[in-house]
Amino acid sequence: MGVEVGTITAILDTTLAIVFTWVGYKTADILWKYTPYSYPNARIKAMEARLFSDQKFSELAESKTLNNFVMNLEDTDYKPYLSNIEGYSAEKIDRALDNALADMYTLMIKILPKRSNGFFKLLLQEWDVRNLAAAVKAKIMGDVARDYIVELGTMVDKIKAIAETKTLEEILVILEGTEYEDVYQKLLLNEINLEEFETELYRIHYKKLMSYAQSRKGEEKKIIEEFLKLKIDKINVMTILRAKLHRMSAEKIRPMIIEGGSLNQRIIDTLLNVEDLSMALAELDSTRYSQVLRESREALESGDLSALDKSFEKFIQEKIGEMTRFYPLSVAVPINYILLKEHEVKKLKAIAKLIEDKIKPESIKALIGEAL
Amino acid sequence: MFKPHEMVKLEVISLNRYKDKLLTYLHEEGVVEIREVSVEIAQKDTPNEFYRKATSHSIGLSRLVDFLGAFKEEAKGGIKGFLFPEPVPKKPYRYRSIESLVKEVEAFLEEAEPEIKEVEQKLNSTSTEIERIKTNINVLELLSVLELDVSYMKSTKFLEIVAGTVDKDKFTPMIDELKETLKGRIAYVSKEIRGAYLVVIAVLKTDYDKANPVLAKYSFGRIEIPEGKGTPGELIKEYEVMLAEREKKLDEIKEEAKKLAEKYHDTLSFYQELMENEREKANMLGNLARTNMTFALSGWTPKEDVEKVVEGVKRITEGKVYINIKGAEDDDLEDIPIKLKNPGWAKPFEMITEMFGVPKYNEIDPTPILAFTYSFFFGFMLTDFMYGLIIGVVAAMLVKGHKHLKDGTYIFSKILLWSSFFTMLMGVVFGSYFGDALQRMGIKVPYAIDAMRGALTVLIIALIIGIIHLFIGYTIGFIVKWRNGEKKAALTEQLSWMLIIIGIGMFALSLKGITLATPAKAIFGIGFVLFVISELSNGGLAALLIISDFFGFIGNWLSYARLMALALATSGIALVINILVSMIWGIKIGPIPIGIAVGLILFIGGQLFSTAINALGAFVHALRLHYVEFFGTFYSGEGKKFEPFKSKRNVSKLEMEI
Amino acid sequence: MDPIVYVSLGAALAAGIAGAASSFGVGVAGAAAAGAVAEDEKNFRNALILEGLPMTQSIYGLITLFLILLVSGILGGGFKFAEATQENIIKGAILLGAGLTVGLTGLSAIPQGIISSAGIGAVSKNPKTFTQGIIFAAMAETMAIFGLVGALIMIVTGVGF
Repeated sequence: MGVEVGTITAILDTTLAIVFTWVGYKTADILWKYTPYSYPNARIKAMEARLFSDQKFSELAESKTLNNFVMNLEDTDYKPYLSNIEGYSAEKIDRALDNALADMYTLMIKILPKRSNGFFKLLLQEWDVRNLAAAVKAKIMGDVARDYIVELGTMVDKIKAIAETKTLEEILVILEGTEYEDVYQKLLLNEINLEEFETELYRIHYKKLMSYAQSRKGEEKKIIEEFLKLKIDKINVMTILRAKLHRMSAEKIRPMIIEGGSLNQRIIDTLLNVEDLSMALAELDSTRYSQVLRESREALESGDLSALDKSFEKFIQEKIGEMTRFYPLSVAVPINYILLKEHEVKKLKAIAKLIEDKIKPESIKALIGEAL
Repeated sequence: MFKPHEMVKLEVISLNRYKDKLLTYLHEEGVVEIREVSVEIAQKDTPNEFYRKATSHSIGLSRLVDFLGAFKEEAKGGIKGFLFPEPVPKKPYRYRSIESLVKEVEAFLEEAEPEIKEVEQKLNSTSTEIERIKTNINVLELLSVLELDVSYMKSTKFLEIVAGTVDKDKFTPMIDELKETLKGRIAYVSKEIRGAYLVVIAVLKTDYDKANPVLAKYSFGRIEIPEGKGTPGELIKEYEVMLAEREKKLDEIKEEAKKLAEKYHDTLSFYQELMENEREKANMLGNLARTNMTFALSGWTPKEDVEKVVEGVKRITEGKVYINIKGAEDDDLEDIPIKLKNPGWAKPFEMITEMFGVPKYNEIDPTPILAFTYSFFFGFMLTDFMYGLIIGVVAAMLVKGHKHLKDGTYIFSKILLWSSFFTMLMGVVFGSYFGDALQRMGIKVPYAIDAMRGALTVLIIALIIGIIHLFIGYTIGFIVKWRNGEKKAALTEQLSWMLIIIGIGMFALSLKGITLATPAKAIFGIGFVLFVISELSNGGLAALLIISDFFGFIGNWLSYARLMALALATSGIALVINILVSMIWGIKIGPIPIGIAVGLILFIGGQLFSTAINALGAFVHALRLHYVEFFGTFYSGEGKKFEPFKSKRNVSKLEMEI
Repeated sequence: MDPIVYVSLGAALAAGIAGAASSFGVGVAGAAAAGAVAEDEKNFRNALILEGLPMTQSIYGLITLFLILLVSGILGGGFKFAEATQENIIKGAILLGAGLTVGLTGLSAIPQGIISSAGIGAVSKNPKTFTQGIIFAAMAETMAIFGLVGALIMIVTGVGF
């Protein structure tokens, strides 16, 4: 053998060093990627097992009285929230269910790794936006604002105080120092109208969410961005179609479009400029949402947007569900769960309301089967 | 064996008045899988009023059972309860009609439900009160730093008084802004606690609307002031007295609940089971068709039960019935439910087959083969006489204890019992008794192979077993396909591999000089050509697939090396434990042979741990070898499992009145 | 280098890397098990079995360690390759290679732990997926088994008892 021992040792050592570095890097990488989601994933899956089946919903629909309705929820996760309300009414049950949702968000923030739990804090703020828009709208319209707000979000106390104010200026005092102050001021000064105010709130919110998504890496970035795009698209499509129904001009709709969705500018522009609803629908048929629109076409043409809302939510739910199968140990799992849970609470609230209104069980079943 | 039960299709048409009884009869017999009657001329049946009531009672009853169940004295828990569960007596019920049953349940509920509901209500309200008192005590503890009479913190006719907390850095700006907004008409007390300020603020009632937004702006967190007079300290004492009183009351209510549980629990769960079964019957009605006078029902039943069923149906309907029995036909193939049929020794292993999926009606049921190979593989991987003995004893006890239940534990234990037999056998072959414990003690044990030193031999044995196993799989696949007319697939997909395996086998023998190498190569060649032909149908990808599938086969084969790896793992761990024990065995502190005591503990604990972990490994990998490697050669598992319409009876039994 | 360095390095790396990988794997799966049990105690048995699967790699490591110690004479008798002759160095290097093979293939415990973790999630949602979860996790172990077999051949044919 002509090769010196020293050379062999050197080759061996280098190979070893390379192999070990590579293996070490890969190992650390997959550990970093998956370990933090191990616990939350299992826990959330176990929670998913307890989501209500259709069977359970029809049992609940059979309740006949709110008392029985609450009793039927006794062996579920909602028990602690319902046990200390007295004198059942749909409104009180609503509040209790909202509390359950709020705790669910808190739990998600607690069990998820730091690198993605910020997203759920931001998601919780969406309820702030929703509440604020609803409360201000009710105030301006002269409705009872209390009826329109949901006790969920990061500033429930402030929202409640807003609902109790007597003048619009007092709301400004409450919002002072928050990120919504400027927008509200503009509304007060009549620089923008109520709809633009709402859009503006959502725009601020989604800008924040988007910049959060962009600060993430890898799978997390991909999943969160996809989720946000779906949500933004939903809002935009709903806005445009609603405007088309009311025959608004392109200039009037344009300020209400939120940037950042997956629909590109060209499609949005075309949508804004088409004459009427059916042409808008035809345009949307070439996008990924054709399925959604086809499902709700009939209702849309008769001027009913709620069917679109429903099938859009279903679509988002399906997409995120797909992602949980594609990325089983990732942020998609909690997002999916939140969607499912919110849906469940929405259904429960509807059932409670229908029971209070003394609707027959058969009709309740039919209604929750269709409307949600 | 090898074939599932022969099934026949049953069609029954009879008068509506016999429907309930007939369904009940079939439900109790539990040998017919009811299928939907395709309705064209008649309409689908729907549950009547009583079935609907049964459904709602079933839910209501299970709630009551759950509630009382929490207060029922537990009979026996722990290991004894697990090994030898007490048989639950089955209370008989004479069934007349669903109507009378529902009425009976309602009569019972009328008596029991209010009693139970009352206790439940009391329990809930007392727990709520306790919670409220506890919250109040917490609030008072917080307020106690202010040393202010609680009654001063309550709003009066002219004053609005609010108490709450606010962030430390927001405190001063909030007070300043309040002073400014209210033009100084404000009084407050405050105290810093844990990074926040506790503040009690008094403003005029008329000013409250102005103050409120400011408070909200600084996220002032309000506190509800508990009722009462005196300083917080004094009030806490009062509340604590109240708390103790309520807790005593709660205990009393729990006692009451226990008494109720004793009185009602068993009856409730008896009725609950009856109602649950009625509910199942109600759900089944959707599969029936009916006209004004008659109803029709169709389903599958094993041929061996059909005589009994027909006789029963005739008896129930007093002969006023039309029954049609048809054998299974080819176009039913996808539809026929599969009930596996095996002799007693192989029966438990049906569980393993069913976990993967049952065969189609025209395929072979691999359970008998699997029964042997599964337990053999398990034994090969565990390879220790004593470990086998431990598992065998535990399994035998479980089999005995669960005999009357025939539950999952019973079936599983039977599988373990067979597996432990092979474990002991292999233990003797490898001369392994707690690893090399006996050898270390100087006892000579006979053995055929040493798992450690003869590792290579064990590997070769494992691979031979593997290739035989695969060969069996391909052969079965060949037979099934040939018989079902898929001759081309049988030749290219199964026979190819069979020939390749024979070729490899003969070639290995020729190395030993037993056979000639040339025919071996020829057979291998034919097999390979067939294999290539089967891949050619894939078009452009063929070349790639030939390589990947061939190495896939090699991978599957080598996968049987795990037989050796796990056998080695068992003797390895046992060896480590034995070495450790022999190292500390001799240690003495003074005259006390402490080493023996510690050594014994280590030995027993260590060997038990080793048994558990290696049995788990053997269980999992024996399963994997069957599901992935063995079933991969021939088995689809795409059949539909036979799911008879069958009642669940744990605490009740039904006697039919005819 | 002296043969003793190769031999002990081989033994250490086999048991060390495989053991570390197993502990990571069990750790990942254990977190999932804790999550599943936190929601429902009934998941305990299934989660425990799935959690234990990535443990096998450390056993393979341990066996290799013992085999290396046995053939090199460290265990029972004296160290056989003390002198730094070429033959002894080669034998030492083979043992190092064998140890490294088992150690590195033992890293499959980490992905196995991740699969187990996902499996525990699936099982706590639907207990019927238990067997499938086990089979999926057992797939990852094949590499470790191949590693062990390879190492065994290296040890027995390259060095011998």
